[in-house]
Amino acid sequence: MTTWVLSLEQAPALRVDLRGIVPAALAGLSLDQIERLPVFHGNDTLPLAELCHVEGVNGNGAMTLVLQGDFSRCDRIGWQLAGGYIEVRGNAGDYVGAGMTAGEIRVSGNTGVLAACEMQGGLLDVAGNVGDFAAAALPGSMDGMRGGTLIVRGSAADRFGDRMRRGTALVFGDAGDFLGSRMVAGSIAVGGRIGAHCAWGMLRGSIVCAGAAPSIAPTFVPTGHDISVFWQLLARDLARLGEPFAALPARRIRRIAGDLAVGGKGELLLPH
Amino acid sequence: MQINGVTIDDTFAEAFPMKATRLVITAHNRTWARHAGVTATGFATSVIACGCEAGIERELGEHETPDGRPGVAVLMFSMSGKELAKQVERRVGQCVLTCPTTAVYAGLAEGEQIPLGKNLRFFGDGWQIAKMIDGVRYWRVPVMDGEFVAQETTAVTKGVGGGNLLLLARDTDAALAAAEAAVAAMRAVPNVIMPFPGGVVRSGSKVGSKYAALPASTNDAFCPSLVGLAARSELGDGIRCVMEVVIDGLTDTDVANAMRAGLQAVTDAGAEAGVLRVSAGNYGGKLGPFHFHLHKLLGEEALA
Repeated sequence: MTTWVLSLEQAPALRVDLRGIVPAALAGLSLDQIERLPVFHGNDTLPLAELCHVEGVNGNGAMTLVLQGDFSRCDRIGWQLAGGYIEVRGNAGDYVGAGMTAGEIRVSGNTGVLAACEMQGGLLDVAGNVGDFAAAALPGSMDGMRGGTLIVRGSAADRFGDRMRRGTALVFGDAGDFLGSRMVAGSIAVGGRIGAHCAWGMLRGSIVCAGAAPSIAPTFVPTGHDISVFWQLLARDLARLGEPFAALPARRIRRIAGDLAVGGKGELLLPH
Repeated sequence: MQINGVTIDDTFAEAFPMKATRLVITAHNRTWARHAGVTATGFATSVIACGCEAGIERELGEHETPDGRPGVAVLMFSMSGKELAKQVERRVGQCVLTCPTTAVYAGLAEGEQIPLGKNLRFFGDGWQIAKMIDGVRYWRVPVMDGEFVAQETTAVTKGVGGGNLLLLARDTDAALAAAEAAVAAMRAVPNVIMPFPGGVVRSGSKVGSKYAALPASTNDAFCPSLVGLAARSELGDGIRCVMEVVIDGLTDTDVANAMRAGLQAVTDAGAEAGVLRVSAGNYGGKLGPFHFHLHKLLGEEALA
């Protein structure tokens, strides 16, 4: 199967909407057809070839799309992706992997805001940093990320995992303010420092603070019981990803339940 | 066929398809894992009245369990998936949930899923928490020693129940010693359990009874007290005690391997140890689809 490589030679003047440019949509199309696919550039539609150079190379059998260059002005890469593999060699814009249900996206650079928002399945792996509201909800929506795995190897900005409902979202570096705010359920793990108001309004779910312990709101209470069984299940799964989580299973754990303002069924897990 | 003076009857064990599952029960230490395993597999010798046949397959080390604690692997067999689901829920609910420090996981991945922690979670009265880890859903139920962690479901597979060996011995001592040796050898075989007390049953049964209400009754052909009284006896001179080992396994190969291991343990000891004959129980071959011919089992071993 052909691997399609889209190369961006110069940054577009306006925001580009790449929804629909996913491996499954390109499969079976000729080079000519792909070059003529319409994409939004600002308020206008342009053929894809006017924005980037399209090239087909022999693939390894999987449906693959490679985006090469600085795509930081290109939004909705992998929008509602249902299968296949997208590799971004460079930065990605906003909404990367939003609503994806299956497949895999790897970004070698940074992403804009709302990466993996309302993601339902699959894997989004960002080597750099993600903007605000990653793994969160689209504006106006009740539920954020609801399945799949988000790995951020750099740092995350504010509101990471806001209203997150299910799935696993990991930050190897630091996380900004309001991490896991209004979180409904799911698992978040952060390897570095965490900003202010961590887990504000958290209903359920788990936040593992593998780096420095964040400041804990007064609406969180420590629970003294032995949770080593559950901790081993979770820590061993996280440890498979390597540093900074590799040593988690060997560390003792402190559990802090909250946010009591909304029921207190969530938890902060602080290895020490 | 004779091996070391032990006569191996030219007969076969007849076994039946069953539904089976494996549970992995872990605990703070080996003792409590064993307590949970023993209790959960108690009163589970025969599907005739216990609902299921169950036993501890083997003990598990810290490196073999999902949470890194010692545990036991338990196999449960029932005649239907529905009955098995009922038994799993009752036994795990009453014997594992209640046992200090335990956690329970599915021991099989492939197959139709039946509830494990899925319904037991309601014991948490709203305080229970679900957690998806690597695609597997677990329940965490608050209990007085901390948390009871249970995987949501376990898989049901097709199993084989009713493999057996009849050990015909000159006296009780010899019969017990041979049965214990056979069970010990079979315990080393994976994927099988011997559900009766100590793995051994002394009240082997035949199908039917003179009493219309009873589906099964004593196996008079193998009762030493009935030699010369019953219309037909399988026992010759010098046999005064018979023990049976019953084997349930996940596949017919597993049952065959266990029977072979048991046969070998008995024949290795030889006739001097007191077992004069080895036979097997069947119903004429018309009821169960799995037939384990004793001669074939030993023949395959000789070829291997």
